[in-house]
Amino acid sequence: MRTLTALLAPALLAAAAPAQARDYLIAPTRPDRLVIVDTEAMAVDKVITIDMAAPLPSLPVVSADGRRAFVIVAQNEEIVEIDLESGEEVQRLILGTEQERVKALFGMDLSPDGTTLAVYESPVGLFKNHFEVRPTRLSLYDTATGALKARAEAPRQVTVIAYSKDGSRIYGMGREMHVFDAATGQKVDELPIHGWGKGEYVQPDVLDAWSQFEVAGMVTTPFYTFREDGDPEDPEAYRTGLLTLDLETGEMVMKDAEATDIFYFSTVADPAKQRIFGVYNQLASFDLETRAPIKRVNLPHSYYSVNVSSDGSTVYIGGTLGNIGVYDADTLEKKGQIDLPDGHSMSLASVRLFTRDE
Amino acid sequence: MSRIAPALWTTCAALALALPAHAMEPQDILDRVCTTCHAPRADGSLPRIDDGRRTPEGWDMTLVRMMRNHGVRMTGEERATMVRHLADTRGLSVAETEGWRYILEQEPVAVDEAPNQDMAEMCARCHSFARVAVQRRTREDWAHMIHFHLGQFPTLEYQALARDRDWWGIAMGDVLDFLAENYGYGERVASLAADLSGAWTVAGRMPGRGDYAGTMHVMAEGTDYEVHLDLGFADGSHAHFDGRGLVYGAGEWRATLSDGETEIRQVMALGADGALSGRWFDAESDVIGARMLAAREDGTPRILGVSPGHLRLGEAAEITLTGVGLSGAPVLPEGVSAELVSESATQVVLRVTAAAEAAVGPVTLGLGDLAAPLVLYDRLDRIAVVPEVTISRVGGNDGPIAKVPAQFEVVGYLNGPDGAPGTEDDILVGHFPADWSTEDFDEVAAAMEDARFAGVIDGAGRFTPGDAGPNPERPMTTNNAGNLWVVARLEQAGEVLEGRAQLFATVQRFVDPPIR
Repeated sequence: MRTLTALLAPALLAAAAPAQARDYLIAPTRPDRLVIVDTEAMAVDKVITIDMAAPLPSLPVVSADGRRAFVIVAQNEEIVEIDLESGEEVQRLILGTEQERVKALFGMDLSPDGTTLAVYESPVGLFKNHFEVRPTRLSLYDTATGALKARAEAPRQVTVIAYSKDGSRIYGMGREMHVFDAATGQKVDELPIHGWGKGEYVQPDVLDAWSQFEVAGMVTTPFYTFREDGDPEDPEAYRTGLLTLDLETGEMVMKDAEATDIFYFSTVADPAKQRIFGVYNQLASFDLETRAPIKRVNLPHSYYSVNVSSDGSTVYIGGTLGNIGVYDADTLEKKGQIDLPDGHSMSLASVRLFTRDE
Repeated sequence: MSRIAPALWTTCAALALALPAHAMEPQDILDRVCTTCHAPRADGSLPRIDDGRRTPEGWDMTLVRMMRNHGVRMTGEERATMVRHLADTRGLSVAETEGWRYILEQEPVAVDEAPNQDMAEMCARCHSFARVAVQRRTREDWAHMIHFHLGQFPTLEYQALARDRDWWGIAMGDVLDFLAENYGYGERVASLAADLSGAWTVAGRMPGRGDYAGTMHVMAEGTDYEVHLDLGFADGSHAHFDGRGLVYGAGEWRATLSDGETEIRQVMALGADGALSGRWFDAESDVIGARMLAAREDGTPRILGVSPGHLRLGEAAEITLTGVGLSGAPVLPEGVSAELVSESATQVVLRVTAAAEAAVGPVTLGLGDLAAPLVLYDRLDRIAVVPEVTISRVGGNDGPIAKVPAQFEVVGYLNGPDGAPGTEDDILVGHFPADWSTEDFDEVAAAMEDARFAGVIDGAGRFTPGDAGPNPERPMTTNNAGNLWVVARLEQAGEVLEGRAQLFATVQRFVDPPIR
């Protein structure tokens, strides 16, 4: 009896207590793993191995309840749905056919209601004598069945794909910020990226391969430009800017932030939309409104991906190698480090944060 | 899959092997293997295969891609057979490769100049423009090639100098037009009928080791040649290599030779003058090698080399003329006297003295009707390190990619008639030994202690880079890359002349095809 009581007591306590939302990180590592990190324990919670995923599960997209993830795998030619609690594969979308190779390179997102998976696809026809590059496209899949619901041609060179908070629009970051209708996938608008800053700056350079907009509901990326009347000898003429796209309001802002003395690979906005954090060989914080730099610290090695806790207090840096650095969002002091199993590297994968009620 | 590529490519040596009797005939391979996908058109021509002409290395790259990406199974012998057949029947003339041969010769330093900014950014930002220029294709085949580029490498349009523009639109527009117009299919070229058997006199200079001369014996054996190469270097050392060679198409000489320890490759072209010219290099480290000029001993008399090519006033030195059909009396410039030390049809050695009061500058040393250049000098006005800028690559450290060294030399100059250094009338005197060292290139390099970590340079000007991989001793555990000054110092009558070059000690070349 005593044993039974001891077992029952915590179970009853857990049932009685209100649900606690807890932050987890999902870090894909080479060649076929999803590593789930419990941020409170600062420890690896679960390692899920995905069949036929090599060489790198690149982009995970987690459902709103934190229980399922869609992940681009298998040389970017397949998408798997994984049950994050059991580790089981729920379904698998094979994007191409024997006659057409289709890759999802950088862009995929779930609709806010969880019913639709939007995927930016680069198809190529495979003929016996030659290849045929085909128009890039936005495909909308039913998450329950995997069936294609809609598909439309989309401009080339798109990376990040993100739904608006109300689920009516899909944004695709390319040479401009393309805006697509979420029901049809058709392009309906565009916001200037290459067209930004004319008269003052040369065409900005943007390469945002990391999806890490889920905490703030805001897409951010660094961009690099040069003052149109600048002197090539003047280091101040080379400018780093920060782009934000608010997925709630649809407002996109590109603003000069600092002279380009270092590079950032990616950035993230905090949930209060007050700060932006940028990472590569340094971790830096910026005021989101003014883009003014606040603080910068050197890192022990390069990190490509950056994310932030749901309370905005902690910054997680990952990608590149096999550990996640944990930093205080205010002071940028290192609070700890989570070493991923076997030192497997995250390479170019996006490290994402999700919240699950426990 | 990509890991297989270097392994396949390094077996290029197989190209120089004789074909065993059991290998399939090339026409059989075309009919039974290639036509599975490249089904003949109504006129009997094979799509893609008959739509382009390439160098032997170009055809080998195509075959390797067929094996690696498309599941074609061929033995090494069959692959060699096919390269031979395709290069013989669908090759380029030597003239069509002129100006671009450095890419075949694996020259460690060459200026690869695209014909315009567009082509530099669209093609030559990833590979040499020479790689483009040693191909001929129909317009349709160039279009297929562009589709292949983005189809095979879909992130290509996201790279720097691609994402800033409508890459695909430009590629299928201006680039396709340019390629079709400038590198269209042209005419098929007949393969060489002549037999290269015979004794060839060779001469050249191996950076880091010095001038050499010797004999290459070439004997036809089947469709190939047996080759024996004897080299004597100016420093008194000798080398002897044996192996096999062959001619692809109109005059592409390739040979694989060995001295028992080191395997070398020869990549040479048969010129209109009947001479072979090109380069030979260590098969494991193509930076280590030398240019070579070879003429058949029964050919038109000519001088191939003069060593040394410079003489200080008031001094005497033995000067060796290497060539074919050498005869006649020395014809000496003013202020120069000479005694004959030895003479043969391929080598004349003179003990030459330059009078202290002779005029400095370039003169001509004659031999019968032939002439060779010689530079007289008193003191060098300056020295320079060549190449002025180059790279080395980390490697080794139990990894699969070997270190890539860098080889430097010192050249001495006179200021010329205007007395000013660095002007057009400067006179190149020749190559000189020096003391070598490295220094941090700038403040950033000094902060990272690049000179300490990036590698070491030896007394012959050869820089050996550091080990590959992260180095825990360096900030951010960075690798052994570095930005260095390579410094040469040469003492001349109590003063020290100094020359400098920049070396980027950089990372491995992870993709290393035969045509870079």
